[in-house]
Amino acid sequence: MADTKKKRYALVLDSKKCINCKACVVACKAENGVPVGKFRDWITEERRGTWPRLMATFDPEQCEHCANPSCVRVCPTGASWQRADGIVLVNYDDCIGCRYCMIACPYNARYFREDLGVVDKCTLCAHRVDKGGIPACVETCPSKVRVFGDLEDPSSDVSQLLNTRRFLVKKPETGNGPQLYYLL
Amino acid sequence: MQTIEWGFLIVNYLFLGGLSAGLFFVSALATYLQEDGEPAYPRIAKYGAMMAPWPVALGSFLLIFDLGNWYRFYKLFIVFKWQSPMSIGSWLLLVFTGITFLGFWAWLPEETRHRLFAFLPKRLAFLKRFDVSIDAWKRPLAMAGFPFSIGVGIYTGVLLGAVQARPFWNTNLVAQMFLFSAFSTGTAALILALSANRKELDFRQLRFLYTLDICFITIEFFIVLPYLIHGKLSVLAVQEALKLILGGPYTLTFWLFFMLAGLLLPLFIELWEMAPAFFQKATIHHNKPLASIAAALVLLGGYLLRYVFVYAGQISAFK
Repeated sequence: MADTKKKRYALVLDSKKCINCKACVVACKAENGVPVGKFRDWITEERRGTWPRLMATFDPEQCEHCANPSCVRVCPTGASWQRADGIVLVNYDDCIGCRYCMIACPYNARYFREDLGVVDKCTLCAHRVDKGGIPACVETCPSKVRVFGDLEDPSSDVSQLLNTRRFLVKKPETGNGPQLYYLL
Repeated sequence: MQTIEWGFLIVNYLFLGGLSAGLFFVSALATYLQEDGEPAYPRIAKYGAMMAPWPVALGSFLLIFDLGNWYRFYKLFIVFKWQSPMSIGSWLLLVFTGITFLGFWAWLPEETRHRLFAFLPKRLAFLKRFDVSIDAWKRPLAMAGFPFSIGVGIYTGVLLGAVQARPFWNTNLVAQMFLFSAFSTGTAALILALSANRKELDFRQLRFLYTLDICFITIEFFIVLPYLIHGKLSVLAVQEALKLILGGPYTLTFWLFFMLAGLLLPLFIELWEMAPAFFQKATIHHNKPLASIAAALVLLGGYLLRYVFVYAGQISAFK
């Protein structure tokens, strides 16, 4: 029987564990056939101070699969759409390539595929998730930065982490309701 | 990764769409205003109606050409998404372009119309039944077109202003700014057309255009000014975004070429042209080259305003 329980997928990221190995970036490219020069996920690096007092932080970033995604709102044809479980997708057949969604995304998470003339983005590996799997970036991460799960399920790892740890989300002031939670 | 996705094609389209909106609005106003049952400003009404369809037609063509899949543009017209400014704008544009072409048809001189139909090949002879005068539609078309010309003029600004991810755009003042800039460029194009005509110039009609343009430019100026003041008093992201025109890469273009050369200078030229009329004399100065320069500057300013907003807006972002 089909699983009819309501779901809300999200990612919880413990950036402090990230070592900037970029295995998630490579795994995503291999899994989804992302063209050369384009990325569905990436790592933002920040360095401060001078030796010996210095620090470096690495933040893995990608589509936030927002609760109130502006990319979906501005799309004139409905090609950008959101599933009931929160995953934001692009229907290539309906995309006219106007790129309004790219401009409307505060996280710059989308890219243009010149070869197809359409906009593309992270799918949260919906093809794997629908078979009960987890996204390729989550599976491959060697330092276990990424945790994927269902926020509607109180026993899931993501729910447990968000109930017991402090966290922040990026650019909440844009009102998009991002669903990537960064642990503090 | 932040990239410039909307380039010169979009700048050109925003300018051309606005230009048509302005041309039609002023022409419709001139058609609507009557004296003794005749249009009060017949030449403005005619020129505006004849010129209005072409910029927006060219602009729409550029818009479609800018798409990743141009042949899918019809998909814009099989759905209506009220939350997407682009969807609303596409429909407005479709109706508006239709009305401008009908207006063109209505104002086309009879001989020209007959001559156009004479070109039809024999196989398409049945189309000749459309060789009819829709002269009586001039006023109803003007009235029907009013809201759509305003809609097209303002939506180009809403398209940018409704994007909350880009702090440089995200204020409703951009919509008003683009609307009055559109009307101003339309008026300027008519001043150019009227000045270029070798026929004896009708001062009354030119005075009407100057009056309109002075109003439009003044309103535009008092939208740009609050835009800057609001921005400086707004949240940090907006203040940061404004730095793009306050010391950043677009400062010179915005202040020297748009604000000074494209807005204030033509305003002063037009005020000087109108000066005798202010002092109870019916005539105006009318220095033909000067009037043409003022009009050309308004067109340049309108173009640069859109250039600065399209480019600077896409660079601006929340940190």
